[in-house]
Amino acid sequence: MDNPALECRDVTVAYGSVMALSGVGIAFERGKIHAVVGQNGAGKTTFARVAAGLVRPAVGELRINGQQVKTGKVKDARAAGVELVHQSFALPPSFTVAEAMEFGSDRGAAIFTRSALQKRWAPHLKSLDVNVDPKRRVRDLPVETQQGIEIARALVADARVLILDEPTAVLSPSGIEMLFERVRKLRDRGVTVILILHKIREVLAIADTVSVLRGGRLVDGPVACAEIGAKRLAEMIVGPAVARTLASGDADAATGRGAPAAHTANHHTPADAGLVLDMRGVSTLSDAEGPALRDLSLTIKAGEIVGIAGVEGNGQRTLVRAIADLVDATHGTLAVGGVDVTAAPLARRRAAGLRVIPFERNTEGLSLSSSLWENWSARELLQSRLLSAINPARLKKRCDEALQAWGVHYATTGQQAGSLSGGNAQKVILAREVDADAKLIIAAQPTRGLDIGATAFVWQSLREARDRGCGVLLISSDLDELFDISDRVVVMLSGEVAGTFSAPYRIGAVGAAMTGVSQ
Amino acid sequence: MTGKFVSVLRGLIFIVIALALCGVIFQFAGYSALGMFHSVAEGAFFRPGAWQQSLRWALPLFITAAGVGISFRAGYFNIGAQGQFYLGAICAAFMAEWLNGAPAFVVIPACFAAGMTGGALWALWPGLLRLQSGTDEVITTLMGNFLAGLLLVYVTAGPLKDPSGSGQQASSRPLAAAYRISDSLGLSPTIIVIAALVALAMWLLVNRTAFGVLASLAGRNPTMVQWQGATVWRLGLSSFLISGALAGLAGTIEFMGPNGRLAGGFLPTHGFTAILIALVANLSVVGTAFVSVFFGGLASAALYLPIMAGLPSAAIEIINAAIALFITAKSGFVDRLLAFGRRSA
Repeated sequence: MDNPALECRDVTVAYGSVMALSGVGIAFERGKIHAVVGQNGAGKTTFARVAAGLVRPAVGELRINGQQVKTGKVKDARAAGVELVHQSFALPPSFTVAEAMEFGSDRGAAIFTRSALQKRWAPHLKSLDVNVDPKRRVRDLPVETQQGIEIARALVADARVLILDEPTAVLSPSGIEMLFERVRKLRDRGVTVILILHKIREVLAIADTVSVLRGGRLVDGPVACAEIGAKRLAEMIVGPAVARTLASGDADAATGRGAPAAHTANHHTPADAGLVLDMRGVSTLSDAEGPALRDLSLTIKAGEIVGIAGVEGNGQRTLVRAIADLVDATHGTLAVGGVDVTAAPLARRRAAGLRVIPFERNTEGLSLSSSLWENWSARELLQSRLLSAINPARLKKRCDEALQAWGVHYATTGQQAGSLSGGNAQKVILAREVDADAKLIIAAQPTRGLDIGATAFVWQSLREARDRGCGVLLISSDLDELFDISDRVVVMLSGEVAGTFSAPYRIGAVGAAMTGVSQ
Repeated sequence: MTGKFVSVLRGLIFIVIALALCGVIFQFAGYSALGMFHSVAEGAFFRPGAWQQSLRWALPLFITAAGVGISFRAGYFNIGAQGQFYLGAICAAFMAEWLNGAPAFVVIPACFAAGMTGGALWALWPGLLRLQSGTDEVITTLMGNFLAGLLLVYVTAGPLKDPSGSGQQASSRPLAAAYRISDSLGLSPTIIVIAALVALAMWLLVNRTAFGVLASLAGRNPTMVQWQGATVWRLGLSSFLISGALAGLAGTIEFMGPNGRLAGGFLPTHGFTAILIALVANLSVVGTAFVSVFFGGLASAALYLPIMAGLPSAAIEIINAAIALFITAKSGFVDRLLAFGRRSA
């Protein structure tokens, strides 16, 4: 292989005492689709950022088309033809498509007219099969189109290497198909595409080669995808030691290795179990945080895990906020644990057994600059009077016991919640929200950003809560996760229920419901 | 290193840095920096009777600063202590005027109630505006200070004007001696007991009630306590009211104690010094008590410098300003300094 499109030699990046990448050497052949996979925290995104010049490694060199490029300089990487499309899109929501293209990076004329911009960018978008009116505003476009524009923007300059960081995370199954089609066309035009992925199924569907990172080190790669099986790849991702400790279904779900597991199928919720959630005909108004719920009915029995699937932004947030009284219902009734709480504030709903693991761990779930014991005791303190006396020493001691029982790694209960890793922080929230009095646990994206060990722990905790007779509402954008642990999956589309599925799940049918395509 | 120790250290560090900066300024202005600091220290704590003077200033400052600390903890930047302080004094003065002639054991408690209510009401409207429509409380409470200052001028020149007054500054009729809670030196057992009660109550509130923990959580992350089911309204409004009531209490004390009457524009920096104190003390109640004594000492030195040492009292204003400057820089600058110390340790 002479002059690879992109080559890293001995790249080492450290954030404080954490080694994000250590001694990674890897070379990508020109004109192919390369996948880089690994768990959360394996160093995938750091690798992408080094390649694009956003991060300057402590040691190591970067070569593009055989030419050595100064590390840590976006301009130099760009000039050499490397473009990165970020995980979270960077398009200004209020811009029109043409404006976003023109002012995307360091380009752009000082004086412009809208029509000239539209004329300039329409052909470019069209040539890349991005079918969108350049007059429309970015915020009004579906996420697939936004991604298409991001890619088009990255290809404005003469990009020879395109890096996409977790491009599938925000897409529905059909959106993923479209993306893959687009990526294949780019490859056929001679562009080298590097995809940062974390699902084996996706890797095998699209990539020519795969490289696996684990704990900041290159396990192997690039290896031709044709030569490696899904099972071997899964083992490389989690490491042989972890692979042995995980339940087989969980390992598959966590690495996205094909067919959904069936091991929840043998759990049977008793038919006569009481309803812990009974939502009937609930409607809300739409607001900045999400679309309105429209006449939504949903029930959860004691001892049942119900998963909510859907493309992000289809009312999942509103659903959780409606149950938690953070958005007002205009119609409908809501009962938790058999108690009608339609008009009750969240504190009373919590008293009735509602527990919430919110979407955003670091803003909604924890106060990062407050101590662990304050964070842990908040739920309980809110159930008592404001001026009731507390005994901090006793609260700290009980917090200690609870956090230890949940296996949180921490030094003292006085340390700030922000000093914990993501998995540990999530365990603190679990320790607070999953208690003996819980009747309905809402778990919103509970495993986002966690490594496989922590993910499996969260799943196990939710299953145990279910087996004790809790109802669990699990909201996730990860279908593998939903299929692995849900007893029933409800698909939401535009604030309505678009379908209800039970195991064995068919990804095609669920995906069709998510995008509103009737089968 | 425990959190408490770090925060004390942090407070000390930037007072020392601020003083060093002041020393440079004094030196350039043609004064001996050492001589200046010596005189300040003498005026504050070491001349005969200095402690009494310093405490006279420290106690009302502490009461106001303890209130400021409560609203800052809950995440509301109520910088209207000055206005709430004035409203407290005004309301107490009206109550005293209205009940004039009644026995002291009726008038004094009634004045205190009126003063605290007045201060609380002056914090209520910015609180309501903030919680109802998100109006920035920094703006409204700051504006409230100007309104209260003008109200004070109006009251002392109008309804409560002392017709026999001959001074440049209009003022109210002096409070009858029977209703005074201290002489003009301003330190009496009553005031000490009130300050002690405030200290105890605020310490208990912050450290030993659910309110204390929840308000501090809400101050650092209101979204999180909302997801826990807190009514942010109740936490927020109570903290506004408590801080207003305490500033009003300090105003009442100044009116009924050392001043004995209202004068337009009296103690124009009281509320702002209290904010400084709360910030230097990192909002801890115990810390506020100690820092108040320090600033009370500076206030006392400000009177001493020109008279006894022949030095300009503006030196004290420079010291205050320098400390204020470093407090606003503290999160970045001093924390980095502390982090550096830890790394090399």
